[in-house]
Amino acid sequence: MTASAGATFKSASDLPPAAYGHLGDLLLWLADNKRLLGLRYSDWILGAPTVEAGIACSAMAQDEWGHARIVYAMLKDFGHDPSALERGRAAGEYRSSELLDGDVSSWQDLLALNFLWDTALSVHFEALGGNRFEPINYKARKLLTEERFHFGHGQGWSARFLGADRGRKALADAFEAAWNACLCCFGPDGDPLVSTLAEHGILRCGQAAARARWLERVGPVAAEIGLARQEGSEWVSVSEPSWDGWDPVRRRLAAGGPDADSLARARGDRNRTLLMD
Amino acid sequence: MTRNGHGGPGRGERGGLGDEQVYEVFARKKRADRFQHIGAVFAPSRQLARVYAWHTYDEAKWFEMTVAPRNAFASVNLSHAPFTLGRADGSPERR
Repeated sequence: MTASAGATFKSASDLPPAAYGHLGDLLLWLADNKRLLGLRYSDWILGAPTVEAGIACSAMAQDEWGHARIVYAMLKDFGHDPSALERGRAAGEYRSSELLDGDVSSWQDLLALNFLWDTALSVHFEALGGNRFEPINYKARKLLTEERFHFGHGQGWSARFLGADRGRKALADAFEAAWNACLCCFGPDGDPLVSTLAEHGILRCGQAAARARWLERVGPVAAEIGLARQEGSEWVSVSEPSWDGWDPVRRRLAAGGPDADSLARARGDRNRTLLMD
Repeated sequence: MTRNGHGGPGRGERGGLGDEQVYEVFARKKRADRFQHIGAVFAPSRQLARVYAWHTYDEAKWFEMTVAPRNAFASVNLSHAPFTLGRADGSPERR
């Protein structure tokens, strides 16, 4: 932990200038990822393997959009117009992961997003919760309460796939495809965003500790398919992060952005004529 | 939010995923309340039963919710499945 003791920041205007921009960038990254992850959950409300799983996807989609809305609203204090952020950007301006750019073609690919990516986002919120920037503390706690059930869903379904040889192979392929993006989302060594926010006590830990926390959560399942292993009390990734294509501003590994359909849904284009203000 | 009606699924209503079983869902709104049976979910594990119950029966801000596999309940006065949702073998319930 690198959090420093000291007074709390009651609003964005209290933040040190070096931290202000970085926190705004991190919140925008989180909001965009929540918005697009919600879309991906919503794609499976109908067509999930069971009615209950479809209901869970509906609830998780609603949760993610609620979380995104809360974080977009916070960005007003960081010099953004939340309405323009939600409805007025091109695909290339989104900070969401390349994992979320288009349709998820299989249930196991959705589980990779559910168990690996959603958990990575939660680890970021855990690092923000109880920090020195007061406006996000309560919101992070509330959000993480809901995320417990998202994790339980991903873990429960992963266990089910691991119970059969064919399922294990399918899960391994899906998790492997998402694994590197998850490793990288915590940032490279010396990442200025994470370092600056940790230095000011706004993130409670640095990138290595956050990645370790994520591995602690997903490691027991990932180890079953050869992506992680336990060393002493710690879980480690078998592979090192590959930073090819890393964009330090958008915090993703590929150019481009959400595809046309995803972008239209994320922005609410069909409802544009209903906007009164 | 999509919700199932009270009562939920009965055994034998759906095929396919054979490792699933019915979990009965109970909840109470306040600590002082008694638990009420609010429905049921199909799930392959206790962990997913918890998730499904929480997401399916979200019509109230529950103080406490719990799930139990239907086959954990022993009928006292009936010879067939409890909660009168059907016989254990899926055949029609006798009146």
